[in-house]
Amino acid sequence: MARMKFLCDADRCIKCNACVTACKNENEVPWGINRRRVVTINDGKPGERSVSMACMHCTDAPCASVCPVNCFYTTADAVVLHSKELCIGCGYCFYACPFGAPQYPRTGNFGSRGKMDKCTYCSGGPEADLTVKEYEMYGANRLAEGKLPLCAEMCSTKSLLAGDGDVIAGIYKERVMTRGYGSGAWGWKTAYGEAIAIST
Amino acid sequence: MSDDIKPGQIDADRRSFFRSVGGVSVIAAAAVASPFVATEAEAYDPGSEEARARYRVTDDVKAFYRTNGYETKKK
Repeated sequence: MARMKFLCDADRCIKCNACVTACKNENEVPWGINRRRVVTINDGKPGERSVSMACMHCTDAPCASVCPVNCFYTTADAVVLHSKELCIGCGYCFYACPFGAPQYPRTGNFGSRGKMDKCTYCSGGPEADLTVKEYEMYGANRLAEGKLPLCAEMCSTKSLLAGDGDVIAGIYKERVMTRGYGSGAWGWKTAYGEAIAIST
Repeated sequence: MSDDIKPGQIDADRRSFFRSVGGVSVIAAAAVASPFVATEAEAYDPGSEEARARYRVTDDVKAFYRTNGYETKKK
């Protein structure tokens, strides 16, 4: 069974924010919410890296672990989705997520929160596929249409990869082999220390 | 406070009124809530249809994989 994954090639990202724009437009994301955003490390300095970040659809999702109403579920494609009908907007998932993926619309004064919104891997939600209700609540369901998330399909430098984890890992591996140096994936040096060589 | 009640004396009619109203509302609330108390918490079950795999290797997906591999194919 294919496992859907995102992989951002930080050596290629030029922080054009086309992925952010594409996501907002495709899914009619409410004002004030960004399901995807570009994070830049060491901005303006040598070795600057930009990474496009969204929900990483974790295998053991912390958001699902802390949800008091158990509104999260994982599909057979390994996509982490949630039911907005069950969500109570408590914000626990926001604190649990290491990527800051869960977002909340501001529904009124005094900081009151609405239902949580996050990247759906362009695969809709628990409503029936390709219905108006599904689109209004969760956005597009491109996966059901036989397509991949638009953020990745739009990426002009082919930095953002999406799809079957095994396939995109193979593509990325080929790139690293061709470049002749270690992975530019942000965070690897943090994870593996000095044992891994990363170009700057 | 009525004129026949001295300062410091409890107005029994007023207290008894609220006590009786409170008692009735507690009984009513218990009657309404009792069906929910017996219900156990349930985790969200999306069902097999909602959680089924939707990913397919279509021409669109194949084109995405092919074009993302161009860098390596040129060299």
